Amino acid sequence: MSGLAVHVLLVIAVVAQLLSALGLLVMRTAADRLHYTSAAFTVGPFCVLAAVLLHTGMTTAGYNAIATVGLLFLAGPIVVHATARAGRRRVLGDPGPRPEERVQ
Amino acid sequence: MNEFLLAATVMLAGFIPVGIVCLREGPIDALAALELAGALATTILLCLSEGFGRSFYFDVPVICAALTWVSGLVFARFLGRHI
Repeated sequence: MSGLAVHVLLVIAVVAQLLSALGLLVMRTAADRLHYTSAAFTVGPFCVLAAVLLHTGMTTAGYNAIATVGLLFLAGPIVVHATARAGRRRVLGDPGPRPEERVQ
Repeated sequence: MNEFLLAATVMLAGFIPVGIVCLREGPIDALAALELAGALATTILLCLSEGFGRSFYFDVPVICAALTWVSGLVFARFLGRHI
């Protein structure tokens, strides 16, 4: 049963990572592409982490896998946000909201 | 070849669309592709570490994840300020 779960989790991880890469290619703007970058930081790594923990249990390898995926999970939103701000600064000169974008 | 090595091998195909975007699109699009490549490489290294069954191999994806974080922030700051 555990072996089947590992297989299923790995298949989900592979499909998620490949779909993220394909989505990056298909989308037209940088903002759209960044959504797929975010997905690659979360879905696939978490499935691989679950597969590793099911396969080996809470060993040194398991703790290292938790650290790796934890770093990715923390890094993803920060890096994607910084990239989106850099893109907006390049296009508009200022990452802040324009007058027509202000929320009342 | 066990299931983890197979998964790592199949995931390598993800570098093809990422490379195409890096080569053909603008700097911010290429940076998004580079960040995705970092996440993909970390996941592949995680699978390879488990597939080879050596616990000390797991240090490599930890370093790769940390460097993906730092390099993404450095490139984002560089592209947003100086070009």
